[in-house]
Amino acid sequence: MYSNSGKWQVEVSALVFGVLMGASSLGIAADEKLTEKKPQSSQENKTEAQKKETATPAQTTPAQTRRPREKSFPKIASGSWTGSRLADGQPDISGFWSNTIGNHGNLTDPQGGVIGEARRTPLGPREERAPSRVSDPADGQFPFQPWALAKVKEFQVGFHNPTNPAHVEPNARCAPGGIPKSLYWHGYDILQYPGYVLFVFDNGSRIIHLDKNKPHLPEKLKLWNGDSRGHWEGNTLVVDVSNHNGKALFGRSGEFVSESATIKEKYIFANDGSRYNYEGTFTDPTVYTRPFTITIPAIKYTREEETDGWNLEARWAKHTGKTQILEHDERICHENNGGFGLGATPK
Amino acid sequence: MNTSQTYRPSTPNQSRLQQSWLKLPTLKNDKLKKMGSALLLLISVFTFSLVTTSADAHDSTKIPRLANGKPDFSGIWQTTSAADYDLEPHSNRKDAPPGPGIVEGGEIPYLPKALEKRKKNFENRATDDPALKGYTLGVPRAVYYPEPFQIFQRARDLTLVPQFGHSVRTIHTNNTEHPEDPNDWWLGDSRAKWEGDTLVVDVKHFNDKTWLDRSGNFHSDALQVVERWKFLDSNTIEYKATLSDEQVFSKPWNITVILYRHREKNFQLIEDYRYTLDYDQYYPPKPDQK
Repeated sequence: MYSNSGKWQVEVSALVFGVLMGASSLGIAADEKLTEKKPQSSQENKTEAQKKETATPAQTTPAQTRRPREKSFPKIASGSWTGSRLADGQPDISGFWSNTIGNHGNLTDPQGGVIGEARRTPLGPREERAPSRVSDPADGQFPFQPWALAKVKEFQVGFHNPTNPAHVEPNARCAPGGIPKSLYWHGYDILQYPGYVLFVFDNGSRIIHLDKNKPHLPEKLKLWNGDSRGHWEGNTLVVDVSNHNGKALFGRSGEFVSESATIKEKYIFANDGSRYNYEGTFTDPTVYTRPFTITIPAIKYTREEETDGWNLEARWAKHTGKTQILEHDERICHENNGGFGLGATPK
Repeated sequence: MNTSQTYRPSTPNQSRLQQSWLKLPTLKNDKLKKMGSALLLLISVFTFSLVTTSADAHDSTKIPRLANGKPDFSGIWQTTSAADYDLEPHSNRKDAPPGPGIVEGGEIPYLPKALEKRKKNFENRATDDPALKGYTLGVPRAVYYPEPFQIFQRARDLTLVPQFGHSVRTIHTNNTEHPEDPNDWWLGDSRAKWEGDTLVVDVKHFNDKTWLDRSGNFHSDALQVVERWKFLDSNTIEYKATLSDEQVFSKPWNITVILYRHREKNFQLIEDYRYTLDYDQYYPPKPDQK
């Protein structure tokens, strides 16, 4: 298991199941509520009129209990794939996915609340909460150069009452989440096709080209979601990212890479297809003293009953057939966005 | 020899060509007969080649297909038409090339009140076109907007990813129906069925915030679009759509555009989230200037 002690712990899957299913009172940490106090999503960021106008069936359903957040999660070893495959040979991992431990409020203490925000309840011991998303270095901290750390600390203060536009978290403007934040914001779809893996997020999409011979775009082009080339190694989707513009920031704690970063990603899937761990190694000599790795656990959602307006915003399709088909409405954030702080700041 | 006499139509109502075909077998002169035979052969070959060319163009076995046999529209597509400048016939102007329009019958049948709004939209097009803000283009505009879009296709659906903007459209092909108690969506709700090799898509439940082109043609939230997607050959799609909207149009009307497959080596979409351009200079942090 990944845990906040920074070392592997061996726990039986039954315990994981118990954490998943049985600890809802513990799982929805206070930090989650605090984290989402500011409007962010296509729905949370709308004016009331907009909400009424664009509310989806999923959103008008009485609030469901969000699946409990994990405090630890299993390591998944890279290895062979024994699960089902698509006709083109890819492991079949298509579906609705979302991260399991928290959102983008705090990268190094994902269940510790937004940095600098008052808490209603005091935090307990650090080891009671999910580990830092930084899995390397072992101390869970970003290996910033001094200038960059100073910028992050400025952001963490300015974020709470931004007077500098650079301190508005780009996601609040419905900017694309970029890499890696798109994987721990709202839930997302992964779709697969011969030659491609496609991610569809709440604001934008990302196309992974499964073609090693297709060259990256010219270096001058910088993109929110980068330019991705991938291939499968057994149960692992290995992706090489270039052309990333660094603008998305990593979350409300303000960490970032520059536009000269390169990213090597591994999406390591469990053979039962129920979950994967993301391991992204970022190399950026202009901001950091060494490469670092971010680990993000994710689970697949398969039932309408788990629709919670965040991780899953889907419903059973209407049809006369016998099988249940889960489907998602259009994902449009920007146009529905009421502006940061419910319109206090233009989007 | 006066062939014109030989081939003269026997009755004023028969065409020269018909008459020549009728007359050929009755020719007496051997030399002429040979020439006639050669001509007949030539015509036959020409006709045959016409038929085979035509057959190639519509050879339903040569278009890409999914494993389930349905046409596979996967690929990156784009129109070369000037439809997005103005769906209706228009002369050149400072912000648009001339164009014959793509509306069947020429003009969109606006209701009188709607026509006033369309005129106002036209006057304010330099500022009011939602596309200028990088907004969702909507349906059908995203199909003929002059930027590429990629179709990803499975048996259960088609996913349309535009280069312009961020709005991914799903066309369901799994016998599902429009949802009950639906909302108004930027892209509407798309449910499709196959009629032979033609994909017929019923799209409704729109909002009223998108335009149909940059000249201010518009619709209300009562818009319904029925699209027909069909391969002309493996690299060309004929796209037809019927638009109806009782709040805005007096009757349904039709458009047609041709979409071409991008075949450039290594061609790919390049994200164009231009709605971020007003603030993207603030990110990421940079070292302070010394």
